[in-house]
Formats: sequence, C-alpha cells, structure tokens
Amino acid sequence: MPEAAARETLLAIDGVGKRFGDLAALDGVSLEIAAGEIHGLLGENGAGKSTLCNIVFGVHRADAGAMRLGGAPYRPGGPADALAAGVAMVHQHFSLVGDLSVVDNLLLGQARGFLRRSEFAAEVARLSETFGLALRPQAIVQELSVGERQRVEIVKCLMRRPRLLVLDEPTAVLLPDEIDGLLRVCERVAASGCGIVLVTHKLAEIRRTAHRVTVLRHGRVVARSDAPADEIDRLVRAMIQRDLAGAAPALRAAVGSDLRTNGAAAAAPKDAGAAGVEPPGEVVLRVEGLGLRDADGVPLLEGVAFTVRRGEIVGIAGVEGNGQSELVAVLSGATAATAGGFRVDDAPMSDHAPKTLTAAGVGVVPEDRHREGSVPAMSLALNLALSTLQRFRRWGLVDRAALAGEARDRMRAFDIRAAGPDVPFASLSGGNQQKAVLARELSLPGLRLLVAAQPTRGLDVGAVEAIYAQIRAAADRGVAVLLASSELDELLAVADRLLVMYRGRVMGECAASQESRPRIGAWMAGHAA
Amino acid sequence: MTALAVARPTLGAWRSELWVPVGAVVVALLGGLALVAAAGVSLPAAVAAFADGAWGSAYAVGASLNRAVALGFVGLGFIVAHRANLTNVGGEGQIAMGGIVSTALCLYGGAASLPGPLAWIVPLVAAAIAGGVWGSIAGVLKVRIGTNEVISTLLLSFIGVWALYGCVQSTRLLRQPMTDSATLPESLEVPAATQVPQIAPSLDMPLHAGAIVLVLLAALVAVVLARSLFGLRLRAVGLNPAAARRAGMPIGATVVVAMFIAGAFAGLAGGFMLQGEQLALKARFPSGYGIDGLVVGLLARGTVKGVLASALLFGFLRSGGIAMELSAGVPSAIVLVIQGLVILLLAGSAWWLHRRKRA
Repeated sequence: MPEAAARETLLAIDGVGKRFGDLAALDGVSLEIAAGEIHGLLGENGAGKSTLCNIVFGVHRADAGAMRLGGAPYRPGGPADALAAGVAMVHQHFSLVGDLSVVDNLLLGQARGFLRRSEFAAEVARLSETFGLALRPQAIVQELSVGERQRVEIVKCLMRRPRLLVLDEPTAVLLPDEIDGLLRVCERVAASGCGIVLVTHKLAEIRRTAHRVTVLRHGRVVARSDAPADEIDRLVRAMIQRDLAGAAPALRAAVGSDLRTNGAAAAAPKDAGAAGVEPPGEVVLRVEGLGLRDADGVPLLEGVAFTVRRGEIVGIAGVEGNGQSELVAVLSGATAATAGGFRVDDAPMSDHAPKTLTAAGVGVVPEDRHREGSVPAMSLALNLALSTLQRFRRWGLVDRAALAGEARDRMRAFDIRAAGPDVPFASLSGGNQQKAVLARELSLPGLRLLVAAQPTRGLDVGAVEAIYAQIRAAADRGVAVLLASSELDELLAVADRLLVMYRGRVMGECAASQESRPRIGAWMAGHAA
Repeated sequence: MTALAVARPTLGAWRSELWVPVGAVVVALLGGLALVAAAGVSLPAAVAAFADGAWGSAYAVGASLNRAVALGFVGLGFIVAHRANLTNVGGEGQIAMGGIVSTALCLYGGAASLPGPLAWIVPLVAAAIAGGVWGSIAGVLKVRIGTNEVISTLLLSFIGVWALYGCVQSTRLLRQPMTDSATLPESLEVPAATQVPQIAPSLDMPLHAGAIVLVLLAALVAVVLARSLFGLRLRAVGLNPAAARRAGMPIGATVVVAMFIAGAFAGLAGGFMLQGEQLALKARFPSGYGIDGLVVGLLARGTVKGVLASALLFGFLRSGGIAMELSAGVPSAIVLVIQGLVILLLAGSAWWLHRRKRA
C-alpha cells in the first residue's frame, strides 16, 4: 500500500483550459504533482486525460491557466522545451525504429557528433539495473515484445534524467505479468525522486501504486484523493457517475475493478442472464485448419480450428498482434487464407468476397472502424446502409427519404446520438460511431454470424456497456458471435467460451470464467498449460 | 447544432464565395497587365487585343464559347473520376483518340450516308467510346497491377497524341490525298452531313450544338453524382476503398467505369471540336485542351456548376490570350504566366475560403 506523503510540489497546474473548436477538452483543471509521487490521472475516454498530458509535454498549448514547474513559470512551446525543462513522456504509441538495436534507438534522439555506443550501452545497463528494467542493449527492437519496447521508451525518457515522467495509458498494451513489472518500475523511479503521472482507467493499478489520484470527467476535475486505495468506490462513482455495484459486469470489467480480486462475482450475472436462453444450438461457423502466410512466407495463422454455435459468444483472447486481426480479416473476406478454410451453415466460404459473406448472413465489425467500417466523410445515414444501399434504389436514384427514415429507426433502436441522419459520420463521438457500425451489421437481413474485432477499443465505459448489451441481445436471438478483444476482463464478462491465441495458433480453449484466468494468462504468454 | 450551421452558409458566406474568386481573377489579370507592360508592349493595345479576341465580335464570342464547351466536357469527365479519387491527366490523348475515330467514321466509315442527324451523332458517340476505351485502359491497369492512374493516363496521352500525328502524316491513314508537295499534313474536311449543326448560323457566330449537349450532360452528371447509387459508390470508393470493399461494393468495376467516363467525355470533346469547329483533323488539334480541361476540373472543386464556370473563364481567357499574342505581340510565355497566375490565385482563394470556414 503506497503511503501518501507530503513532499515538495514539482508541477503545479492552475486552472488550465483547452478548447478544440466547440469542445471544451479541459476546463479549469488544477492539480499538483509532488517530487517522488505517483499521481494517478483517472477518467473515461474523452475525459481530457490525454489532452492534459499533451499540454504538460508541450504538444498542445493551454488556452487558459498557468503551470509552474519547480516553482518557475512553465509554458512549453513544444516537446523540445518540455524535455529541456525535465519533463518526459511515454506515449501510447511508441516511436522506435524496428530495424535498429535498442542502443541505436536511444542514440537517435540524443546523439551529437560522434556516436558513443559503448558509453550509451553502459548507461542503459546502469539504468536497467537501477530501475529493474530488463533490457538487452544490443537486441533488435523488432524482435522485442510490446512490454520490452515500452521499457525502451521508458529508458529513453530516463536517460534525460527527467524531473517528471508522464505515462499515457501505459498498461493498455501489456500482458498481466508485464503490468506488474511496469508498476514496479514506476515505484522505483518515483523512489528516486522523480514525479510520475500515470494515466489509466484501470482501478486495480491505481489501488496498487498511486499516492494520489485526480479524476477527470468532461474536462473538469470531479474528484481528488490522497488515499486512493481506500476510496476506490468514491473515485469510480466520480469517474462514471454511477454506482459500480449496480453496473453490468461488462462495465465493471471495463474499469478493471475486479482485476485479480473478487473476480468470481463478475461471472455470476452473465450466467444468470443466460439462464433463460436455450443451450447453444447447431454449429454456424466452422473453421478448419486455417492457415495464412504473408508474401514472404512468414506464417501469420497456423492450423486454426474451432466452431461457433448458434446463440453462443466465443471470445478470442490474446495479446494484440498474435493473429487475431488476421483471423478476422480472413473471416470477413478481406484476406484469402493460404491453407484450410471455413464454413458458415455448412457452406464453404473460403476466399469468398465480402458480398458473398454478407449474403450468407455474416456481419463484421472491423477492428478499425475508420479504415474498414465506415466512410467517415459520408453521412451517418449512408454509413448505416453502406452494404445494402441497393435496397434504397428507386427510379434509378437513391431514395433519400427512405434512407433517412431507416437511419432514424436505427438511431432510436441502438441509441446512436447525433443531430440527425444526414450529419457526417465523422462528427459522431467514437462510441456513437461504433454503435452505428454495430447497428448496421446487426441489422443485416438474415444475420447468422457476427464477427466483431476490438469493438470497444477507445470507447468510454457507458458505450462499452451499450455495445456489449447489443451483442448479448443478438446472441440471445440466436446469432453466433465471435468476439476478438485484447481486454481479457471484458471477454470474461461477456463471452461464453474463450479461445486464446498466441503467435497465430490457438493455444487453448476454456470456459469464460474467472477460474480459467491463470490458464488463460499462461496461454497468452505462450506456455502450454 | 453546428452541423446545421455548416449545411446552411449565411448570406455573407455566399457573398464571399462569389467575390473571393472574382477578386482573385481580377488581381491575376492586373498582375498580368503589369507583366505585359514590363515586356514593353503598350497596355491599351494588349487590352484591346484581348477584348477583341475574347468577346470583340460575334465570331470571337462563338469561338470562346466553343472552346469553353470543349473544356467543359473534359472538366465534367475529370470531376466524375475525381469523385472516386482518380486523377485523369490524359485528356489530350483521349481528345486525340476521339478526333481520330470521329474523322475516320465521317470520311471513310460511311457516317455521311446515315439518315438525318444520325450522320453527325454516330461519329460523336464513337468518339466518346474511343476516348472512354483509352481512359479505361488506365483503370484496368490500376485495378489489375496497381499502376498509378496519373502516370498511366499521362503516358497513354503521349501515345494518343503521337497516334494522331501518325494518322495525319500518312495518306494511307487519314491524310488528304497528296496533290503537290505543299499538301498539308491534315485530313480532308468532313462531309457537311456529319458536321455538328450551328446554333445561330444567321448571327455569324460559330457556336455549335455541343453547347446544348454540354448543358444536358452537365445536369445528368450533377444528378448522377449526387443522387444515384453509382454516384454514392464513386464517393465511397474514393473516400475509403477498404470500407467500400468490406461493404461488398465492386471496387474494380467502379474504377474502370469512372475512368471510362472521364475518357469518354474527353473523347466527346474531341468529336465536337472536329465536327463542330475544325472540320479537318490536324496534328496539333487537341493541343492545350487536355491540360486546360484538367485545370477546369481541378478548379471546379468537384461541382458541376464549378466546371461550367471555370470552363467559361478559360474559354474566354484562352481566346483573348491567343489574340493578345497574335495581334499585340505579347510573348506567348507571358500569356501562359497570366493563366498560371489565375489558376494559382483561384486555388489559393478556394483554400483560403475553406480555411476561414473551418476557423
């Protein structure tokens, strides 16, 4: 349990505001971060956490308010100013060159004149030892795991000997064990006197490491705590403005409050909800010996075989980048398998065009709703009917009234909030965009199978709950659902059965219950359990 | 309710949408006059020559309008393909192909013996198909092997232009019979029956029926782009091919058809230029029209109204420029610089308006 300590203030943020167009991303935010403190910044997606971090790191300028760093006025004009002032940031997306070694990547930003590789390597080794960051200086970045790459980014920051380290959602991409490791590193870095801002929406991490917590909602500070571990419930209420106890299991999973604590409780309501449903029926999706190699012959999928039955939700768990995206690409007709194939209702579907799959009743919620799921510059109504536009043809032209009418029905049924059916899809919030994509796919005539990839990524907790409620309702109507997600807690809360993927193979299969968690963790890390 | 505010610009916004481009043209012309003065040509003489060539007589107006009609066709085709994010820079070659096929049909294909208006309509349709086929080659290349259509239409354009040279150089192809060593490298004049009728023959204004066809086709294109399933497909494919593919749209076919349409409009322009104005096929007959048509399409920023407006502007600008060069002795380089200034300032004003609207 971290103790709250009174230390000298390192960074004082006073009344900072930031507007993007009509949206007030931050409004009068004040908080203080002390040297040697781990300060948790908690909030749903869109609450303004990342904006605040970007202002501290000089990416954005505040419209209002002021900051003081170590007592002196601090107004960085860009990341370079922030770095010079001793503020470093680890972004959600890494900026590493895959073909270079760890040392060379570290040299990239800091080298002047001659490269001093050996000195740098020694420095890396020293930092690794001091802070418990296991890193091989000569390893090629491409061959490192996501967790290791993140450690390279952290070392990159630490080499500048920062006074303040900002970590933007650092745990989102990590395995459970790697999360533990990262939190330990944070504790050691803080112990050395550096202030840390830890952005997250996972309560378990806050409970474990944060000395103090600030909760943002809609760009304002809605709660603070000097003893966050004892006040988790109050912080959650502030964050989502709802009581966690009454919330759906998917919602609780999304904020991670059950993480390795009283997990069994999360599974119970799901079973209760499913009790009234008839047991899964006939096989809808049968995947047989599916294999995929890239142009260089590197296997991306190997011997993947499983079934999904009517009314069943099968989850695909695994650390991202272990073949889940490729599997969904094959099942949605975007990529042709190089071995094996799959059947929908016993009809072979291998290498079929998206159009054929749509006709067979396969709905797909793609991983990237902007790239594949929608045409953001077109209207909401058109996006809601994108795959079935020919239904609205009349006298050779598109019947806009019918299109808008159906869009209004969908908006009502799926609670899609927008000014009207004709607004550009891009003007919707992320959650409403995802609801729209899901609405379109769930409304396919003759829907038999829904393939959804990362349907809740980047969504706030309320939207996550709505998305899963719709998916669950579809399954209860008899739709077979295949759900790929890197959020294990969400899968455990929603799915009936789980497959775990590792390096393009299915490592194991188990019931989606908290008891399976140790086995799933081992499979995710590539150990046969 | 910001969405509504965007959808309905205020009166002030409309006014600036009109005045900013007009101002840009005026500023460009003033800059051009300064250049003319710097080149040592008398300004009144240059302006008089420009006005004379652009709108000084019924003949000049007709010639300018005919030029605008040809540019309008090329520009319409350009914006159709551009909806699908395809850039057709091969207008010149497509015009050449249209001209070659139209000439061949009019002179040797028996079009003249067809009944009534079919005598001039059939060669025009053939010209459109020829240009369309020439354009769709770039579409097929893009779909099959991923060739960038900017490169392939440009290279196909060279082939088309040189095919035209070949046709008018050889008597076994389209060159008129050699009677003496001074016989020009061009075709015979097409028979009267195959010539496109003039709208106002009594006015001594050479304006052919292509103007009417252009207006009708412009209306058709506007409806197809905005209201038809095909128009929506073009947009979806252009804005997000991955999503269009996932939605089961025929991407390859859409790309090929879009390039066919772009080429067909240019080919039709070629047919009208030949059967309506020039009457005999000459080696340099499409010269400049392909690129001007491309610029008309670009300046139109995707709207049919924009195509018609910028086609008119360029029709008159070109005619005036040529007269300025011929009768006032303004170097042709300066005429081209003025046109470049107009394009830059118009594009710049569009960008400025767009940015101001967003701010």
